[in-house]
Amino acid sequence: MTGQASGRIDDTLLVREAQRGNRAAFEDLVRHYDQAVLRLALHLTGTEHEAQDVYQEAFLKAYKSIGNFRFECSFYTWIYRIVTNLCLDHLRKRQVRKEDAPVATDASGEQYDVLDQVPDGRAGANPERDLMRRELGKRISHALEKLTPRERMVFELKHYHGLKLRTVGEVLHTTEETAKNTLFRATQKLRGALADMR
Amino acid sequence: MKCEWVKQNILLYVYNELPDDARYELEQHLARCADCAAELKITRQFHAMLSELPVEEPSPNLVAASRMRLQEGLETAEQGRFWQRMIFDPAAWLRQIRFAPALAAAIFIVGFAGGIATSYKVLSGGTSIATVPVSTPAESSITGIQSITQNPGSNHISIKYDTVSTQEAQGSLNDQRIQQLLLFAARNNYNSGVRMDSVDLLTQEPNNSHVREALMYALRYDSNPGVRLKALDGLGAYVKSDPRVRDALLEDLLQDSNPGARTEALHLLEPVRADGSVRSVLQKLAESDQNQYIRSQARLMLAQLPEFD
Repeated sequence: MTGQASGRIDDTLLVREAQRGNRAAFEDLVRHYDQAVLRLALHLTGTEHEAQDVYQEAFLKAYKSIGNFRFECSFYTWIYRIVTNLCLDHLRKRQVRKEDAPVATDASGEQYDVLDQVPDGRAGANPERDLMRRELGKRISHALEKLTPRERMVFELKHYHGLKLRTVGEVLHTTEETAKNTLFRATQKLRGALADMR
Repeated sequence: MKCEWVKQNILLYVYNELPDDARYELEQHLARCADCAAELKITRQFHAMLSELPVEEPSPNLVAASRMRLQEGLETAEQGRFWQRMIFDPAAWLRQIRFAPALAAAIFIVGFAGGIATSYKVLSGGTSIATVPVSTPAESSITGIQSITQNPGSNHISIKYDTVSTQEAQGSLNDQRIQQLLLFAARNNYNSGVRMDSVDLLTQEPNNSHVREALMYALRYDSNPGVRLKALDGLGAYVKSDPRVRDALLEDLLQDSNPGARTEALHLLEPVRADGSVRSVLQKLAESDQNQYIRSQARLMLAQLPEFD
């Protein structure tokens, strides 16, 4: 708790410096949050290339508009708000693209899944379990893609990134109650989609 | 009623989002009701199953590349200034004025005083432009650096540079004019020998932020490994205090085509080997670097680290 509080004080000082045009202070702020931002963008977009685009756009936007930051919320909430907005745009565009081209194929015309390319580097991994985990990962990914962008975002922030529902509400400019209801809806949909996996 | 309430809140219970009193009530009920206990088990299993899709940590390469790309983006990005917001957001401006009469009065007074001061200066100080020294070389007029020499045993430096015709500048390393020319030579010259001389001299002044920027630029972009090695020499002392220097060295360690420069970067990073990003890069090198020496050195450095957890 004390660490969190001192982190906030640091942030406040750094934000004030960055607002005065100190680029090094802004870069320090970037370092506090950029791994979390990349982790979120990577899990949501599924590719390093797209995650990097979200990262770049988010921090450039933050840099340009940090003068408008009024300390009405924490810097953490503010940067997450920028990132989630960009990711929501990304998810919406992806849904539109999917309607146009529902199947991803490689050069030889075969369907493939990105998860197949990810090796399991964990020590002691056995091939059978590895195969099952991949299959399960694929099914979960597909079920997540069926959610609306907003449901996906609430679920992502809560389940995979452990944010409190109150913070999820703040980040998404909504109430805790709405975030809670969206989480319920998303969970129900996922349970329906993955019913045969239990 | 109780079972219905429990089923509505069981998800929040699993996510640790229930207030203490509701949590206690729910636990009391679960101890008595087999149906609700079974529902909790299913919800927990489902929760665990979804966690089988792992949240990968971004690789050190991705973090370094993203930071690098952002730094380049920040070079050209401009922050919105206060006066721009005043001009381009009239609604917010009006709101501020409406809700802050004291601020409005202050802005009015400052504006009025500023206006008077400016007109006074314009009327009385017409000669200020003429005080800029004529001999200062404008960067845009320099076409190249001919040579750089330092008198042995002194800090007197002589630089020959071309404008329309070749000119010569002389002075100490502290001389702003000399520093400007050295920075220009480090970034722009076609002759790698001249770049080497300028970077060599700049390493004597790495406290200057412009100089440090130029050294990082040379490390990242100079095509000559000798120049990059010189830049590494100058930056080494700042690897602890300046995270940007640390990043530049990590990037060089991962991407430099010259094994000598990579080895030097690796040694310079030794004092900060416990840093998270350095540790990740070391692990990557120890696992799969093509250069055997770097692989073994990285392993050695990792072995000297205290274990976490």
